[in-house]
Amino acid sequence: MLIKVSSALHIGLETVGVDVEINMASRGLPGFDIVGLPSKAVDESKERVRTAILNSQIEFPAQKITVNLAPADIPKEGSFYDLPIAVGILSAVLDFRIPKNTLFFGELSLDGSLRHTKGALLLALFAKEFGYTHLFVPKDSANEAAAIPEITVYPAAHLAEVVEHLAGRYALEPAAVSEAPTLSEGSIAEFDMAEILGQEQAKRAMEIAATGGHNILMIGSPGAGKTMLARALPGILPPLHQIESLEVTKIYSASGNIGVGGGLLSARPFRAPHHSSSLVGIIGGGTRPQPGEISLAHRGVLFLDEFNEFPRSVLEALRQPLEDGYVTIGRALGRVRYPAQFMLVASANPCPCGYLNHPKKPCICSPREIQKYRKRASGPILDRIDLHVEVPAVEIDDLAQERQAVKQGEPSSSIQERIKLARNIQHERFAKDAIQVNAEMKNAHLKQYAHLSSEVERILRQAAKRFQLSARSYFRMQKISRTIADLEGVEDITVAHMAEALQYRPKIHDEE
Amino acid sequence: MRNKKFNASVGQLGERLASEYLKKKGHKILAQNYRTRYAEIDLVTKHKDVLVFVEVRTKVGEQFGAPEETLNFRKLQKVKENAAAYATRIKWNKLYRIDAVCVVLGENYQVLRLNHYENICQDPL
Repeated sequence: MLIKVSSALHIGLETVGVDVEINMASRGLPGFDIVGLPSKAVDESKERVRTAILNSQIEFPAQKITVNLAPADIPKEGSFYDLPIAVGILSAVLDFRIPKNTLFFGELSLDGSLRHTKGALLLALFAKEFGYTHLFVPKDSANEAAAIPEITVYPAAHLAEVVEHLAGRYALEPAAVSEAPTLSEGSIAEFDMAEILGQEQAKRAMEIAATGGHNILMIGSPGAGKTMLARALPGILPPLHQIESLEVTKIYSASGNIGVGGGLLSARPFRAPHHSSSLVGIIGGGTRPQPGEISLAHRGVLFLDEFNEFPRSVLEALRQPLEDGYVTIGRALGRVRYPAQFMLVASANPCPCGYLNHPKKPCICSPREIQKYRKRASGPILDRIDLHVEVPAVEIDDLAQERQAVKQGEPSSSIQERIKLARNIQHERFAKDAIQVNAEMKNAHLKQYAHLSSEVERILRQAAKRFQLSARSYFRMQKISRTIADLEGVEDITVAHMAEALQYRPKIHDEE
Repeated sequence: MRNKKFNASVGQLGERLASEYLKKKGHKILAQNYRTRYAEIDLVTKHKDVLVFVEVRTKVGEQFGAPEETLNFRKLQKVKENAAAYATRIKWNKLYRIDAVCVVLGENYQVLRLNHYENICQDPL
């Protein structure tokens, strides 16, 4: 007797259909075998399926069972073939039909209950694309799959529920279409911008960066508030809109970073890996390529605190993803492409001791030491960072005075409102271009959307000559001026916009 | 004292007890101590259209380990080969399975317990 159940397998963010074929022979010695390049986790499925069936008070058939996972030449990974295998075996024992156009997916627990399984969203997207209409997934993962309204998702808590449903003795309730939660539940920043005293220029630069998705580097003495500024960033970032949310949730779903019962994400990711993180941890990789921090920061922020302490290999590896917005990881087992359109926020000290240019404290570093320290981040990487901003040390007296005067800064919520408006302008502008923010503009987009009047262009040319800006920096300045104009809500880029943009040009090289 | 002869006689006693037990359960005994060049099968029976090969393990007292513990992978492998040989010889083309019966005897050879384990080879060892 041959039974076929449909399931799928994930390679990176791509999904391939898998036919779970189950043959139950009524001759020879009873046994249970899985073929079709199963990994250890798939092979151990035998034990889980057998025990789960027995613990559901159903007798396990004493027959020779052969399971084939077709296509047989792609290595199978993961624990989610438990449900299709169990359903297939039970359809023979309890005599019910496997419905057409239906996918089964989920890991079984020994007691027969279904566990949260990673990748449910990818499965639902695959189902939509290839004409499947129904989906059986563990209850804890159903919220993810239910984000795709075209698919009927059945959330099952127990193997017995699925079996009874298929046998027509019980009706599972399809999951309601899940929507992204509102931001208030999603991202709560550690600090409010209003809590940060002074640093108006740095706050303004942060606002511009957050609006256009630009990369930003903060340089300043220890304790000036660089980390605090970066940690306050999630509070001013606008929520993900629908397309972005789907993109981000896909990455998190595939890598198993969505918790039990989680659904679409609405808060922009904020990733802050420590500087001892490895190349693979940041970029992604492994025998079966997993997304790294840059992909987990997709459509959000990658915060690299103590930028100069990161190994050079890691920083240089950021170059290509910073430019392209995706990363392709090639391994013996295959090639995987992960999106990595993130906003880089970096912070660094000006020198090893940290007090270069400090108003009070002397710097004790030798010029050689400073030069060596600066060299850790190469020209090409610094050239890719649009906004360079200095975060000067705050005088303690000023701090006390400011606190007394109760001169509160602008709260994050009102900054966020401004950014939301400016992002909407960008969203409408790029509706046809498959990009989301100003930072993603290519040269063709710049010609179309960031036209400079002859006067503005003259200023940019002059500045480029004087500060020896690279061609890339030249275009980046144009993008930043576009963002500043968007923040103001105006169409034309004026001299004032360009002049402000030029303040944030890369400065490290003029000093050397 | 205890020697090889003694162990053999205990084994035979266990096999006799096992076959009586299986007969009561509805098994039809086809062969006892079926021997090929691979190994020996203690009992071959037929139960509801299924050919059953039974390995019997007997122990006097459990202080030196349970009889279940003496069934290892190698022994089962031999039984499997032997079962396949028997099935081929009688041209059996339906299901067959391998069972185990474990017997524990007391000081005076009275039965302390007798357990029948069905289909022990389906579990991947």
